[in-house]
Amino acid sequence: MPDPTNAELVARWKDEPAPLLPLLHDFHERDGHLSEEALRAVSKGLRIPIADLFGTVTFYHHFSRDAGGLDRPRVCNGPVCTMRGTEVLIASLRAAGHDPHVMPCPGRCDQPVPVIHGGTVLTGRTASTLVSGPSPLPPPAPAGVEECVFAGIRNPGRATLAGYRSEGGYEGLIRAVTAMSPGEVIDLIDASGLAGRGGAGFPTGRKWRAVADAPGGPKTIVCNADEGEPGCFKDRVLMDHDPHGTIEGMALAAYATGAVRGFIYLRYEYPETFDILEGAIAEAEAAGLLGDGILGTDFAFDLMVRRGAGAYICGEETSLLNSLEGTHPFPRNRPPFPVTHGYENLPTVVNNVETLASAPPIVVHGADWYRALGLGDHAGTKVISLSGDIARPGNYEVPIGLPLRDLLHVLAGGPLPGRTIQAVTMAGLSGGFLAGADLDVTLDEPSIRSKGSFLGAGGIMVFDDSRDMIRVTRESMEFFAEESCGKCFPCRIGTQRLVERLEGDGPRSVDAWVDEVTDLNEVMKKTSACGLGQAAPLLTESLIRYFPDRVRRHVEKG
Amino acid sequence: MKQNGSPSKNGTALTLTLDGERVTFSRGETLYEVAERHGREIPTLCYDPRLEPFGGCRLCVVELEGARNPVASCTMEAQPGMRVRTRTAALEVQRRILMEMVASENRDTDVDPMHGYASQEMAELLDRYDARTGRFEGALSGTSRPDDDNPFIKRDYENCISCYRCVRVCAEQEGDYAISVMNRGFHTQITTEFGGSLKDSACTFCGQCIQTCPTGALGDLKALANKDVPGETETTRTICPYCGVGCSVDIMTRGEKIVGILPGMDGPANEGSLCVKGQFAFDFVGHPDRLSTPFVRDEASGELRPASWDEALDFAAGKLRKVVKDYGRRAVYGIASGRAPHEAAYMMQRFIRAGLGTNHIDNCSRA
Repeated sequence: MPDPTNAELVARWKDEPAPLLPLLHDFHERDGHLSEEALRAVSKGLRIPIADLFGTVTFYHHFSRDAGGLDRPRVCNGPVCTMRGTEVLIASLRAAGHDPHVMPCPGRCDQPVPVIHGGTVLTGRTASTLVSGPSPLPPPAPAGVEECVFAGIRNPGRATLAGYRSEGGYEGLIRAVTAMSPGEVIDLIDASGLAGRGGAGFPTGRKWRAVADAPGGPKTIVCNADEGEPGCFKDRVLMDHDPHGTIEGMALAAYATGAVRGFIYLRYEYPETFDILEGAIAEAEAAGLLGDGILGTDFAFDLMVRRGAGAYICGEETSLLNSLEGTHPFPRNRPPFPVTHGYENLPTVVNNVETLASAPPIVVHGADWYRALGLGDHAGTKVISLSGDIARPGNYEVPIGLPLRDLLHVLAGGPLPGRTIQAVTMAGLSGGFLAGADLDVTLDEPSIRSKGSFLGAGGIMVFDDSRDMIRVTRESMEFFAEESCGKCFPCRIGTQRLVERLEGDGPRSVDAWVDEVTDLNEVMKKTSACGLGQAAPLLTESLIRYFPDRVRRHVEKG
Repeated sequence: MKQNGSPSKNGTALTLTLDGERVTFSRGETLYEVAERHGREIPTLCYDPRLEPFGGCRLCVVELEGARNPVASCTMEAQPGMRVRTRTAALEVQRRILMEMVASENRDTDVDPMHGYASQEMAELLDRYDARTGRFEGALSGTSRPDDDNPFIKRDYENCISCYRCVRVCAEQEGDYAISVMNRGFHTQITTEFGGSLKDSACTFCGQCIQTCPTGALGDLKALANKDVPGETETTRTICPYCGVGCSVDIMTRGEKIVGILPGMDGPANEGSLCVKGQFAFDFVGHPDRLSTPFVRDEASGELRPASWDEALDFAAGKLRKVVKDYGRRAVYGIASGRAPHEAAYMMQRFIRAGLGTNHIDNCSRA
């Protein structure tokens, strides 16, 4: 079959919702890069000013503007992967005749080191041993621990509609649509204590109610599957092995709020997940669980997948919405919030994958059941992506309130032989480090926030006593500097200045160094426009708090 | 324009507390607008009152009771009952640090005022916050474009602070969308489509990007060519003579020489907008090739020769009379120049109507 023409590609997308990203991907895949001719065709077809379109395309890592760019292997340079041999793998790829370059964490911290080549993700340590394969399943749940989102994920066939339904899948949706009012669904979610599992922790029931009550429409459900936080790979496993769980959760949110359309905004780095989701949505549509007249009622909900193109900030919900709408993906100013001014400035739920996947079991088993999954006063569970210097990396669904040390030493087998844990990150990288006696926290926001950090999306990277914490901090800060969108001054300049000071530039006296870094930390935390700039300085702040001697040696050595 | 202090729908005044003082506001006003109305002089770098609030520079942050962090006053709509502090010691420290950070990314912190209308904003804030300390030294941001050979706009991005006022004024005020932001973070860069020159872009050289730039990263090359002309700069408010819109301009002169044009930001017709002619085309005023006497065409040779006003007017009157005589009064059609003042346009129509007896008149600004 001949390649589609420019006009055919434009015609395929121009009347679809959120057309820019899929149209750019079609050109990118057809040509192997985004040529000037392609961008001019897109600009004309979608009526986007060409300068704006050009600027926006340059915002994304994975849109290549150079011929052959799509075919260049991209190698992860995240903190876990650099410890596991990013440099070796790059050298090996070069020796094998490739022209590799680095990319930020693509969410395979449980299988270092990942490479994206064309449209495939491979993992391995050398060019000749790279393999592609399914996402690793979570380790078996320990006896006596009840799970929510992982409860059925290990069952063979769970990813198919038949498999999902054979284990009670879509019963939550059926119950809601046939036996509950939208308000009753919201009341139930509210009573369960479910809160945003993407990191912000906003109560899900309150968010749904705000959208249900907001005037105007059509309303939209957006599933935030732009899992860009280094050290987080939980949403990938949920979507890969249990895609209908997320889809059912979105349908429940739509029913509860009156939304008629939904998008899964999926990060570019999960190409296999894209195919899995598209397949699952087609199955659900064919079975009358999505689309018009769901379950024979007048409830209608159209669900589409849109792929990002590589930009951490697009996991920030307002940046995500701008990306979806095809504008420059800077975060928006809030208020107004997406619940009233979301996709196309209309009421919109933006929920993380794990949050949405939690909704169906809650509808089936009840609010009290979910609340009781947590320890003490804490409601529910949280999936933790654990990686780095630990015996058994992987995803663990733990009761909220579990002691961190139980996760590290009991569930995950502790540090590697002969090693001790020096520090762990929280919230992927965004929570900075915990170390020493502060490892005695429990996995819930009040406990972790009391140490100046936060649980966030639940990524934890472990660094043992063989690791240089200056280097770890520098590589982590390089990520934030690379991903800073460039909109607000404290983040754009601050992340750069912190990287430079971690590289050995800046004042030569410890006092002046700490003074500058502390000022940068404070002003970023207080005045940055979004979570990226507010969180990045937690790295340097916790570095100075836990490792003052190492900081002194770093500065004095020059 | 918003009406200040207008009551809410139900007639009661909306109030909030500003630095301990109860003040009224109207629905839709931002905290920045309310505070400015009460003389607060909140620092900003990304703010231009004509543009949509952006929230980039974060200098305008204020403390809002109940909010975890300070909020950008330029983007935060005022709500009844808010308790706002605009000038605490903590805010002033944050603003000073932000200014030190901004200074650290530019090659120059001081530029010639001939760069443009807003070009001193950053320097003035550096003075106000005593922020020329050299702290946070590091890489400079932005790549200048000396290769762009257009005669009007200097693109000196090593002095750019990524406030995007130029990009926003181009889109929101001029509607050209000629420039945009490329890359992310510290590597953001103002660009045209595919990074080319302004001449190869949708730019109409209206110059508004220059006039809103707070650092002189963009500069008015026509004015900068005169930066060494001796004398104090005087500005004279007048109306642009080029077309009928009536844009306000401030003409900068040194001695007898026009050295540059600034748009009247408060001009009712233009609010700071100008076009390429009004902004840049003033060379003709003192140009040696400019005509200084009337010319008439010699009947015999067909060449133009200098003449006195009397001779030229007699010549023109004679020709007009001849046309009316030969072809009738309706063969004459008068068009007033859009560059002519109101009084001259009036005289023109009196002359054509009463003098020549026809109603065939028009004005070129109508075209």
